[in-house]
Amino acid sequence: MFERIMSSKGWWRLFQAYGLVFLIFLYLPLALIFVYSFNANPINMAVWTEFTFDWYKTIFFGAGTAGSFDAAFTESPDRIFEVVRNSAIVALSASTISTVIGTATAIAIRRYDFVGKKVYQALLVLPMIVPDIVLGIALLIFFVGAGFELSLLTVIIGHTTFLSSYVFVVVSARLAGMDMSLERASADLGAGPLTTFRRVTLPQIMPGVVGGFLLAFIISLDDVVITYFIAGVGSQTLPLFILAMMRRGLRPQINALAILLLSFTFTVAAIGLYLRSRKS
Amino acid sequence: MDGFLQIRSATKMYRTPEGGSIRALDDVTLHIRSNEFISLLGPSGCGKTTLLKCIAGFEDLDHGDITLTGQSLTRIPAHRRPFNTVFQNYALFPHLTVERNVAYGLDVAHVERKERTRRVGEALEQVGLAGFGARMPNQLSGGQQQRVAVARSLVLKPKVLLLDEPLSALDRKMRESMQIELKSLQHSVGITFIFVTHDQEEALSMSDRVAVLASGKVQQLASPKEIYDEPQNEFVANFVGTSNIFKGKVIAKEGRTLTLKTANGRELAVASDRFGVGDDACAVLRPEHLKLSGEARDRAIKGTVTQSVFVGSEMHLHVDVGLGRTAVVRHRHNKGSTEAAYGPGADVTLYYTPEAAHVIECKGA
Ligand SMILES: Nc1ncnc2c1ncn2[C@@H]1O[C@H](COP(=O)(O)OP(=O)(O)O)[C@@H](O)[C@H]1O
Ligand SMILES: [Mg+2]
Repeated sequence: MFERIMSSKGWWRLFQAYGLVFLIFLYLPLALIFVYSFNANPINMAVWTEFTFDWYKTIFFGAGTAGSFDAAFTESPDRIFEVVRNSAIVALSASTISTVIGTATAIAIRRYDFVGKKVYQALLVLPMIVPDIVLGIALLIFFVGAGFELSLLTVIIGHTTFLSSYVFVVVSARLAGMDMSLERASADLGAGPLTTFRRVTLPQIMPGVVGGFLLAFIISLDDVVITYFIAGVGSQTLPLFILAMMRRGLRPQINALAILLLSFTFTVAAIGLYLRSRKS
Repeated sequence: MDGFLQIRSATKMYRTPEGGSIRALDDVTLHIRSNEFISLLGPSGCGKTTLLKCIAGFEDLDHGDITLTGQSLTRIPAHRRPFNTVFQNYALFPHLTVERNVAYGLDVAHVERKERTRRVGEALEQVGLAGFGARMPNQLSGGQQQRVAVARSLVLKPKVLLLDEPLSALDRKMRESMQIELKSLQHSVGITFIFVTHDQEEALSMSDRVAVLASGKVQQLASPKEIYDEPQNEFVANFVGTSNIFKGKVIAKEGRTLTLKTANGRELAVASDRFGVGDDACAVLRPEHLKLSGEARDRAIKGTVTQSVFVGSEMHLHVDVGLGRTAVVRHRHNKGSTEAAYGPGADVTLYYTPEAAHVIECKGA
């Protein structure tokens, strides 16, 4: 029935149009901030005056390089470098630790049978479903209760808790497609468990591990809600910084900063996709 | 008794998803000799792979033990047992070339490079794959992958090579040539091959001895000829080759000749040293022992053809002989001969010698 309707020409056109509208819906806002980030109009970004790189320049070189009007609003570049550095430290550490934990857990779950395995699996996935705000509050209460001072470390620990779940899911999917007899073959040929892991298991699941790492990295990089609760004074990350900036008004630098963040995220995702296509 | 590889009272249980448990191996005792080609033959699910896994060390027994030249293997993990396995799906490492696959065990054992290269070359030569070293496994045919798997194991010079239905994924032609190759390989390397198969012809044609398994138990362990000519029980008689099995009661005994009376009153003369008057017994007659023409000393059974099947080299006639079962007779047909005479409905007389029959105990006769 559906097939027949779809095969008629009119319907097909309509379907194509729908696809187009949907894509526009998805990407129009992104396209807008891309355009706005080059608009010289400092008052109303929706009204085009002329093309400029000033907003990007102010991010990297401070207000002095751009028109004087904006000086009062612009954050110092030092501040931006600091939050970018914080974000990088958090994203790299949290995704690295999560990758180790998530991968190890996925392998253990695949290999061993134990009582309550199903429940354990469900509990592992749960942090992905728990509302961020709940997780954020819970982590905050935990850190305060345990006597931690809020810092980059608490952000890293907090991110690691839920990012491990993401890595676990991605690596588990890859493991499910792996022939278990390969590990047995390796043992059969005289390899101990560690050698088998290094020479057989890891190369087999590498695309999953890399994919899990990149996913964790991107999620960590743009997390706002959870980080908001557990970041200390000196540990503001880039998304928190942008949010703080927005509070003081919607300004053109934000567009430029958003586009930079977006480009970086896309690059990371593109690397991930490339690696995956190469591996299989 | 050669005490090479001994499996004693091996029992292995598996939990089923439904919460019960099944005995995949049930009190299996097997004494395997050095340098022999032994087959584990049985239908799917009878425990062949489980037994192989227990020997290789991938599974632990629940009861019983396995010893190699007198030493228990129980506490020795798989990677330290001097056995190698050719897996049912070959399990070649997909990320390594053929050469790296074959070299794997030597790499792991830190064999020095020159010797490694030499041995890998030798092993590939042995299985006829010299020159394929640089290929990836997915660039090989099924038969070639299978050879790589064999080479990968043999290069380590194991004491025992375990093969789990290694030929089942190959087409018929390939399978037949691999059967011959594997057999001659076993002969030339002079180690024990434990060969798992569900194909009785394969088992009979390749093995020095065959162990027939069913529902986790060893039904019979003997030479192929003995398995075929003197099956120990109904299962073996049915599973190996085609058998005409007639159940009855011994009503008379004269020397070695027993008279077996079937449930529907027909009488059958068979020869056996065992059994006495009054015993229940089953007579096993292979199709080739039933002939359509006979000599004076032969016994005769009259029957009616119910079906005749042309299989190329011969005709298979299904004959209702009034013994409660249809007998299968093989008739070599000659070109332009009287096939029509043996069509359905034709009355025939089947001849056999009492000596040709093999008499076994009947389960639940
Ligand atoms: N890991 C397992 N868990 C539960 N049951 C199993 C497992 N492995 C095998 N079995 C069961 O044990 C029996 C024997 O299996 P297997 O040795 O693989 O048979 P075969 O190789 O002769 O076909 C089968 O009934 C099978 O379902
Ligand atoms: Mg099997």
